[in-house]
Amino acid sequence: MISRVADHCFWFGRYVERTESTARVLAVTRALALDGELTPRQAWAPVVIVSGQDAEFQAEHGEEGLGDGELVQRYLARDMDSTVSIVRSVAAARENARSIREVIAQEVWEVINELHLWLRSSAADGDWANHRHGFYRRVRNSSQLLLGLLRSTMLHDTPLDFIWLGMLLERTGQTARLLDVHHHALTQLAPASPALQTQSQSMTGSAPTHRVVETALWLSLLRACSGFEPFMKRYQGRVADGAVAAFLILESRFPRSIRYCVRSAYDRLCAIRPPADAHLPGGRSLEALHALDAWVDAVTPQDLTTRGIHAVLTHVVDEVSSVCDKIGSELLGYGRAPTADPVNQ
Amino acid sequence: MLLDGYQPLDGTYDELFSGVEPRPEFSRALEPLARSAIDEHARAQALAEIALLNQGVTFSVYSDQRGAEKIFPFCLIPRIISADDWERLERGLEQRVRALGLFLDDLYDGQRVLAESVIPRELVLAAKHYLPTLRGVRPPAGVRIHIAGIDLVRDPAGTFRVLEDNLRTPSGVSYVLENRVVSKRVIPRALDAARVHRVDLYPARLGEALRSVAPDGVDPESATVVVLTPGPYNSAYFEHSFLARQMGLELVLAADLFVDGDCCYVATTRGPRRVDVIYRRTDEAFLDPDEFRPDSLIGVRGLMRAWRAGRVTLANAPGNGVADDKAVYPFVPDLIRFYLSEEPLLEQVPTYVCARADDCAYVVEHLGELVVKAVDEAGGYGMLMGPQSTAAEQGEFRTRILAEPRRYIAQPRVEISTCPTWDADERAVRPRRIDLRPYILTGRDGPWVLPGGLTRVALAPGSYVVNSSQGGGSKDTWVLKR
Repeated sequence: MISRVADHCFWFGRYVERTESTARVLAVTRALALDGELTPRQAWAPVVIVSGQDAEFQAEHGEEGLGDGELVQRYLARDMDSTVSIVRSVAAARENARSIREVIAQEVWEVINELHLWLRSSAADGDWANHRHGFYRRVRNSSQLLLGLLRSTMLHDTPLDFIWLGMLLERTGQTARLLDVHHHALTQLAPASPALQTQSQSMTGSAPTHRVVETALWLSLLRACSGFEPFMKRYQGRVADGAVAAFLILESRFPRSIRYCVRSAYDRLCAIRPPADAHLPGGRSLEALHALDAWVDAVTPQDLTTRGIHAVLTHVVDEVSSVCDKIGSELLGYGRAPTADPVNQ
Repeated sequence: MLLDGYQPLDGTYDELFSGVEPRPEFSRALEPLARSAIDEHARAQALAEIALLNQGVTFSVYSDQRGAEKIFPFCLIPRIISADDWERLERGLEQRVRALGLFLDDLYDGQRVLAESVIPRELVLAAKHYLPTLRGVRPPAGVRIHIAGIDLVRDPAGTFRVLEDNLRTPSGVSYVLENRVVSKRVIPRALDAARVHRVDLYPARLGEALRSVAPDGVDPESATVVVLTPGPYNSAYFEHSFLARQMGLELVLAADLFVDGDCCYVATTRGPRRVDVIYRRTDEAFLDPDEFRPDSLIGVRGLMRAWRAGRVTLANAPGNGVADDKAVYPFVPDLIRFYLSEEPLLEQVPTYVCARADDCAYVVEHLGELVVKAVDEAGGYGMLMGPQSTAAEQGEFRTRILAEPRRYIAQPRVEISTCPTWDADERAVRPRRIDLRPYILTGRDGPWVLPGGLTRVALAPGSYVVNSSQGGGSKDTWVLKR
């Protein structure tokens, strides 16, 4: 498979996942803010931080902007100048799809093209103004439709493996950052409370007045990851004791958990570049992703307490980024010096 | 009924009608169409347009941020060519392409044609697309014109005449194939009754021709062939992608290719893979920044070096443009006689070459009757349509021609033939002018002509301009079996 085509596939997967994730987080945070138990800033600042554009946002809108839900939503959903906004992600996904029309099915192209055109239409302005929930829902539904169509219309072959690899690595990063930021917000709730002074203790309860808010935050996090119902099935509503964090990191049967995403990403990479084919490029990518998979696999619920959730998540985010760099240089043709020597690829 | 009361233009050949009667050789083919009602046809025409839009048979509109793409307007009433006419055309096209190939071989080698003054030396050597640096290069398998598109018109006597040769990157064949798909779907009875040669084997024949010219030492069956496109923003991107899909070949951008040593490679996820044949749809000026335009962002550095070394085949070969130069065109019949010792089978349009003093004098005196063309421009630029021009425009061209006679040729305006064509505004069938572009493939074993071709139609009443950019559309072209 041509490296450039693989690159378009990989980023198509990433942008579709990013689109869905952003829409979901905005919708959930909006619901959380409406409950009124958090200050607007407590609700919205984490969303900006998760996007990775904290500095850019503050440079443009000032620090006080973090407490303005409308501003944050506009920045992350509709601002063409914001690199992480939904409109930009969809435009980028469409650009990638446009370059691989001979790889993806016609239906896939139509869905991403329609979503792109709709986002720029007056119909979208109307939904944004009068039916915000409907706006996010449409974005989310289209993204989910895309992921379903890809699996049901494409050859289950290398191009789809690359799309899925991109999607899974993006999802790993999104889940990790989302959890990290929420976790951090929880520790901020009552800095004076001795029970919240360390990360491990933050899981084990706090003053009763904060208990309700804490639970609300955990539940909204689960909703943002589409994990509310799976979690309830698994834990019968016992939200405390770091159960949510453990679920989102370690639950191997939940398709948005870090363990699941890393394992699935490794499976896709093995399909693309079988570990036995040592003569093919991709060896370092495979090794790095394999190491991350083994590392995540070895994490126990106990580790989350002793090492701290933040440390675990930071390791995951850093390693995912390093794996993506290696995939880029080994398989997707980034910064390649033209040479016919496969060892140097 | 659809064809009732159809009235061809006076003094113009009509492809399907002789006077007010359908031509007898097409009566079988036209019968189902003639029996359909106006409403029925209007519905079928609308169906055809929806089918083309849904299939995505579109050309991109540059600078369109919203990604809108347009369909090439399509008229469901076919252009029909009889078996006799086609056989004559086929032989003439093969002859012409063979002679043009030999001319290029000679020009980029010993230049016997210039030494023997078959064509004026300065005329050829000054041609914009003559590339002197390529002299002495013999392309792999000796083929230069792998894909040719020869534009023809038909004069009032019914004689086909060559208007122009396209030997660089002729486009449009995807419409030939897609138009047939639509005809099959929408007017199956007429198509069946007519007994028409199929066109859908074109991609397979193209793939075969491309493999057959793989560099020496490469097994044609296992040769790696790719289609090189300038990218998704090129107006013909649909065709590039379409042909790649139909042939099962990889569609590549310049950035996917690189040259190491004298070999060309494509970067894949499993490492570099040697490329043997490139069907390039990139203009040669942009092929290799080392050789041509250094500012090209869509070129492959070193590609021409690999081609010279005979390690990669480029289809079509660089340097072909000199043979489709408008100033060389008038000499093609002489080239056919010179290289093949045969009389030309296809007529041309009489042409005045302003580089010749006599011709030049005649042209500047008769600008009001002639069509003047700049030899190095295409797509209707640098052109004077004499009969429709103002005195001021003629004055301007007179000055320009006298200043640079080499740059101009002139031809009498041909009353090009018409074909019954659906006029959506009038909801009726009217005569509209058409041309024809057949496609000729040449592999190691010589030329093959696709039995069909692109018929372009000037949709506006009275118009002679068939270009898609200026209100032209297309028709399915039916070549009848014996």
